Parts: sequence; C-alpha cells; structure tokens
Amino acid sequence: MAMDTKKTNGWADQDDVPEIKSELLELNMGPQHPATHGVLRLLLKTDGEIVYQVTPVLGYLHRCAEKIAEGVNYKQWVVYTDRFDYLAPMCCNHAYVTAVEKLMQQEVPERAEHIRVAVAELSRIASHLIALATFGLDMGAWTPLLYCFREREEILNLLERISGGRMLYNYMVPGGVRYDIPEDGWVKDVLSFITMLETKKIKDYNQLLTYNKIFIERTADVGVISKEDAFSYACTGPVLRGSGVKFDCRRNDPYSVYSKFDFEIPVGLGEMGTVGDCWDRYMVRVREIEQSCRIIRQALDTLPEGPYQAIELHKPVKVPAGAAYTRTESAKGEIGHYIISDGGQTAFRNKVRSPSFCNLQVVEKVGVGQMVSDLVALVGSLDIVLGEIDR
Amino acid sequence: MVQYFQDIYSAVSSALVGMTITIKHIWKKPVTLQFPDERQVMPQRFRGFVHNDTTKCDACNICAKLCPVDCIYIETEGKGKDRYMTRYAIDYNKCIWCSLCTENCHTGSITMSHDYDHAVYDRRSLVYEFMDPTEGKVPCHRATRIELGWWVEPKEDKSDGDKGAES
Amino acid sequence: MGGMSDQGLHVTGAALMATLMFTVMALCAIVFTWMERKVAGFIQSRYGPMYTGRWQGWAQAVADMLKILGKEDIIPAQADKGLFVFAPILVLLGSLLAWAAIPWSPGFIAADLDLGLFYIFAVSSMVVIGILMAGWASNNKWALYGAARGAAQMVSYEIPLALATIPVILNVGSLNTQDIVIAQQGGMFNWFVFHDPFLFIAFWMYFIASIAETNRGPFDMPETESELVAGYHTEYTGMRFAFFFLAEYANLFLVAIIASVVFLGGWWAPIPGLDFAPALTLVIKGVLLVFLNMWVRWTLPRVRVDQLMHLCWKVMIPVTLLCIVGSGLWMILSGELG
Repeated sequence: MAMDTKKTNGWADQDDVPEIKSELLELNMGPQHPATHGVLRLLLKTDGEIVYQVTPVLGYLHRCAEKIAEGVNYKQWVVYTDRFDYLAPMCCNHAYVTAVEKLMQQEVPERAEHIRVAVAELSRIASHLIALATFGLDMGAWTPLLYCFREREEILNLLERISGGRMLYNYMVPGGVRYDIPEDGWVKDVLSFITMLETKKIKDYNQLLTYNKIFIERTADVGVISKEDAFSYACTGPVLRGSGVKFDCRRNDPYSVYSKFDFEIPVGLGEMGTVGDCWDRYMVRVREIEQSCRIIRQALDTLPEGPYQAIELHKPVKVPAGAAYTRTESAKGEIGHYIISDGGQTAFRNKVRSPSFCNLQVVEKVGVGQMVSDLVALVGSLDIVLGEIDR
Repeated sequence: MVQYFQDIYSAVSSALVGMTITIKHIWKKPVTLQFPDERQVMPQRFRGFVHNDTTKCDACNICAKLCPVDCIYIETEGKGKDRYMTRYAIDYNKCIWCSLCTENCHTGSITMSHDYDHAVYDRRSLVYEFMDPTEGKVPCHRATRIELGWWVEPKEDKSDGDKGAES
Repeated sequence: MGGMSDQGLHVTGAALMATLMFTVMALCAIVFTWMERKVAGFIQSRYGPMYTGRWQGWAQAVADMLKILGKEDIIPAQADKGLFVFAPILVLLGSLLAWAAIPWSPGFIAADLDLGLFYIFAVSSMVVIGILMAGWASNNKWALYGAARGAAQMVSYEIPLALATIPVILNVGSLNTQDIVIAQQGGMFNWFVFHDPFLFIAFWMYFIASIAETNRGPFDMPETESELVAGYHTEYTGMRFAFFFLAEYANLFLVAIIASVVFLGGWWAPIPGLDFAPALTLVIKGVLLVFLNMWVRWTLPRVRVDQLMHLCWKVMIPVTLLCIVGSGLWMILSGELG
C-alpha cells in the first residue's frame, strides 16, 4: 500500500508540468497525543501520509526511580517497581523480589510462589486486556475498549481483595507475599472469573475485533517486524513472539515455580498476512490470555498449605554484599533487575532493563515508509507503557 | 476477482457479527455504578487514606522513617516521660498508600482506612494535621481531634498476617 | 399593491421557514448528542449521562451547549482570521440550506424545487469547502491533515451518494422530492427500498456513503481522534466548535431524512391508512436511521484513508452504477415503462 502511494509523486517528473517545490513536513506526535499511550513523543518527518523518519523522544515521565533505589531500602523500593509498568505491577513486583531473593539466597515458601504466580498471571491478563483495548481504540473501535476495561475491573477487584491496592499493589516482599489468600472465597472467584473469560469474553473480543475485516485490513501486513529486526533491537515478550520466535522467560529460563506448570507459548503465525505484523502481535496477546488462565488454574488447584512469608513483615531485609541479575517475563516482555549491594540498608546500584524501552526502539526502523495511520497501529501493537520506558 | 467478492462478503458478515454483539449489550444492565449514590463495598484489606489514632501513638517515628516518600511529619518536645507530640501530619499529596507505615507500627495506632475520596480545592487541604495545634502541648496519649469522613474501622482480619501491628 | 403584499407574505414565510429549520437543526444537535451518549453508553454496558435533568440525563446536551457558549473564544495567533471565522459558518450553512427541500408532509416544504434532490446534493457539498477552509486557516498541521483527508473523502463519497439515488429518480422520473415521496404511496412494499433488488442494494450503498459523507463511524477520517488529535477542528473552541458540532448532527439527521424520503417512503406510514401524522412518521424513520448509524459507529473500527478511497472508487461506485443499469433493466422487463 505504502509503495503505491509513493509512486504517485512521480508525476512531477514530466516535462510539461512545472517542478513543484516540496519539503518534508515535520510533525510532533505527542507528548500530548491520544495515540501515544502516555507521554511518548514521536518526531515524524512526513511526506503527506507517508512517514519518512520516526524518532522517539523519551524522558517526559522520568522519575529517577533507579537513583531513588540507592536511597531507600529493599522493601521500600518494591513500591517503586509498582510504578514502572502500572498496568501489570504484580509482574514488576515479582521481577524485583526475585532479584533480591537471589542476592539474599533466600528460599521462598512454596505457597508464596504459587500465590505470586497466580497474581502475576492475573496482572498479565489485565495488562493484555488493556493492550487489546487500546490497540482497538487506536484503530477507532471504541466499544472493545470498554468491554476489556470491564473485565479488567474484575481482575482489579480480585487483586484488591488479596493485596489491598487497586492498581499499585505493593504485594510481594522479599521472602514471600505480604498477605495470605483471603478466606472469603477468593480462589473460587478467580477460577470462576477465568472460566468466564476463557469461554465467553475472548470469543466476544474475537468476533467484535480480531476477525473484523476492517481490523484485519488495518493490522495485517502492517508494521512487520522481521525476526532479524526483533533480535537486533532486543525485542522481547509478545513483540518477539509475534515475530515467530518461541522465546519466553517462563519457559526458557524458568524462575519461581513456572517450570511446574504446563502451558504453551503462542507465537505469531502470519495467519492474516506476514509473520510479525501488527495482527500477529495482537493475536499473541489474545492467546497468552488463554495460557495465563491455564497457569492460574494450575497454580491455584495445586496450592500447597504452609507459610507464605519466609521473613516476617516487620523485620528488615538483610542483603549481603554482592551482585545479582535476574530476568523475568512481565506482560510487556523480559524485565531484568541488576542489583549491586554493598551489604548496607540500600542497594548500591539498581539497574532495570525494561522491555517497553527496547521494544519501542524498533519504530525507528519499522515505522519508516508507512502511513501515519499505520504508525499509530505499530505503536499500539508494541503495547508500550511510558512509566516503564522512562522509569 | 474472486478475492474481491470474498473481501466484500467478509467485510459485511464480520461487521454484522460485531453488530449483533453490541446490540445485545443494549438490553443488558450496565455494569457501572452511579458513583456518589452507589458505592462499591471496599474489601477488608483496602488501603485508603492513612489514619493515625493519636490516643495510641507514642511518636516513635518509625512510620516516618519507613515512609518511602517521607510524607509523615512528626514533631515532639521534651525527653523521656515528658515527651510530647506537638504535631502529627500526613501529606496526602505525597502519600502513595503503600501500607509500609502500618505494618511496622508497634502500637497499632496507624491504620489504613477505607476512605478514598477526598477531593479538595486546595492542595494544602490534603495535609492532614492529626493533632490540634490550638490545644498546645498534648501528651502523646490524648484524644484525637481530626476524624476522617467515611471512616470505616477495619475489622480484625485473621488471615491478614499483619500480626506485627498488635504486638 | 396585491403583488407587494404577496411578496411580503413570501418574505415572511421564508423567514418563518428559515427560523423553523434552524430550530430543527439546533434541536437535532441537542437530541442526537444526548441520544449518541445514551446509545454508546448502553452498547458499552454503562449508563451514559444520568444526572442532569433527572430522567436519564436528558438535559446533559443542553447543559453542554450552555457551557460551550460560555467558553473563551480563541483564535490562534498564526491563524488566518477571516477564513477561521468564516469556516464554521460555511459548514453550518451547507447543512442548513439543504433542509429547505425536505418534504415533511404533503405540501409542507420550504422550497418545492423541481430539482429538489439535485439542489440538496449541491448545497450540502459546500460543507467540504468549510472543512478545508477550517483546516487551512487553523495553521495547524494536524488540522491540515484532517482537512485534506476530509476533502478527499467527502468529494469522493458524494459520487456514490448521488449515484445511489439515480435508480429512484429513474423510477419516479422527477427530481422533485415531493414527487418522489408521492410515488411511494401505499404501504411498505411500495417503498423504493423494496421495489427491486437493485434498489435494495442502492439503499445500503446510500447508507454507507452517507456515513462517510457525515464523517462518522468507521469513516471519520477528518477527525480520527487517535491519529489526528481532533482533525480539522483541532484549534476551534467555544461557539465556533459548537457550530461544527451542530453541523455534524444536523448533517447526520439530514442524510437520514433524505434516505427516508428517497428510499423509505417519506411521510407514508408502513401500513396504508395510518398516515395521520406524516411529519412525525418521517422523523421517526430518520431517528431510526440515525440509531443505525450510531450503532455502526460504536461497533466498527476505523478504516485507513487509502482503504477508504479503495472502498469508494473500487467498490461503491461500480456497485451503484450496476444498480442504475440493473434498475433500468428491471423497469423495462417488468413493463413499468409502458
């Protein structure tokens, strides 16, 4: 499509037509723009509808979280990880506490691990629902947005019951989780919710959005990220899997108790167009929701009895000197925490490798030569969260 | 040519399928609540505005130290048994509702309430003074004056694991 | 003397009609804003406005209008002031003028023109100029994008819009809107939409083109809030924005009314003998079509601008042309030409 439109500029080459002076239009997409998912600013150079250059400009949401980590202790910094990827905070909590535990060489009770996996997967579903919703919204479909938010609301209610927070949970602590599962039928409610999601709601989304012809036209063969590009830009998560690479930290580098559970890793198959197009990335998320439901069911069905904390809550966390790096699979991709400790109360240095940051960079290459509308589709399908990019 | 007609057919049929889903929702009851009139029941563990019962508080300063954003201000006068708390204030502009202050409070005076809506006209109004400055010096174990609206006393939750609060 | 008073009567009548039309338009905007919010709300399993005016928030649109009147009127410093001020008026005028040739009930028509339908399409295409003007005068890149897209879209979609009505004109043999309605007398099955299969297709072609013509639903290219911020009216505020808003909903109702007049029997009730409230019947048909329009809008994703053009030039125009030929053949074969 894009190539056709380019050719139409060729009429100016004919002799009888006077040469028209033209220049590229510089366009600021964002930071206050409805399609940039927060405060991302894309500096575009366009020729009509065709984009010639995309430069993501970051830093509008920079909060010095890594520097703050040098000033607050390990337990206090958990609350900052909530605010990285505020759509899937449980995954970020999980990533951080895993790193601290590795540094401490702390054993985590089995029950705590199961609870962690369950809430992290619930958070992943919530995040993927938002991804579907906002991607649909970028394509101009309003109603799926509200439907997805409706289901997300249920997840937020469930997580609120277990953790007390609605969006920012601060639920996991090094050595376990903050509270046990509440005794008001939480497990039963989670299971009935995921059954409802699997059987009814995903079908609704598919009929309303996924297999809608207009949606397919807008997303298939658009923003194709090849396998090589995905590797060279260090894409992870659904973006990498959308390009047909079967890689998932939960399976390839298992942490927590993921190795106990049986689940599949969905990859982009290029059903509607090319492998790695926007539709594939979207569909990977839809399928991951189903797989997350499977994991939650297994985690809660085999929930062991026992303690849920290795360290009591009011006791401080003592971290020996050393360094540790862990990587975990958050909803957006691979989230890595590198912690250097000098044995004191606070970390000496805490470096976060955030998936959205790496995933976003790919627009610089893939966004070129596309239409402005396709760029919106591309950015939407990457499912970035600015809290995580700027930290 | 076949593709052309297939495209038209799939466009029309998928649009109709989508429209049947949306029209079904017109007859369903909406899931939203009419907020100020209808309120969601907050779960037991909900973390709303932080409440400090200054009758119990002994101004040990642990909460202020543990706060990741330094939103608790405690001022005291005197030493030993003559130690008075002159100010206990929480700046809710800064508070991030993380509950770290409550789980380490050894007197159990600081708790998370179920109160969550405090729209104000002025950001200074979000700095809550739990001690009444007009009464001058008050011993740490005297009555509190500022009550939060919609205050709900959190019930004892056995599964809470928050045993540190009572000890 | 007699001539003078006749002329005076004529002027008074015209003024009255113009006032009436403007009131109808303003009412349209208010009623349909409310209706759109309620329809969108219930489709998305929420309530929509509920408080203003007690019952289902019926006064919300009125309150919004009052609020918008009280807003500061901002003209950007770099904008072309003359065009910037004139554009919303032109957009409004385009949809206002077209109302003149709508036959509400037998004899109740502001301007009984022989070329009524032609006139309607001619004046409503002025909206394009207004939109282009607004986008250019704003001196905003997003507005310019919106205007360019809007101009391309509306100019293109006027063709299938007009072509879709040609089979009806062939059948009636007149462009006069009253004649078109009178030709559909006698119950639902005399309406042109059920006249023959080609006219049935033509009706849906008209409906799709009318969505594009009013810049709504899956074809809201000039606005595309997820791409172009707000499209051609990005820089407009207050009353001037309200003019665009008013024009959008007036246009929405206008195309629905034209569809009812041309295809759905105008003021005739579906069952013969129930024609006691002709104008009301027409309005109900219009409102139902508007509801259909909203239903489509809140269901489907938006098409891309080149797909929009593809749809217009490669699908809709051939199909409508086919409808004209088919309907003509149908007339010959069924012996209607006599």
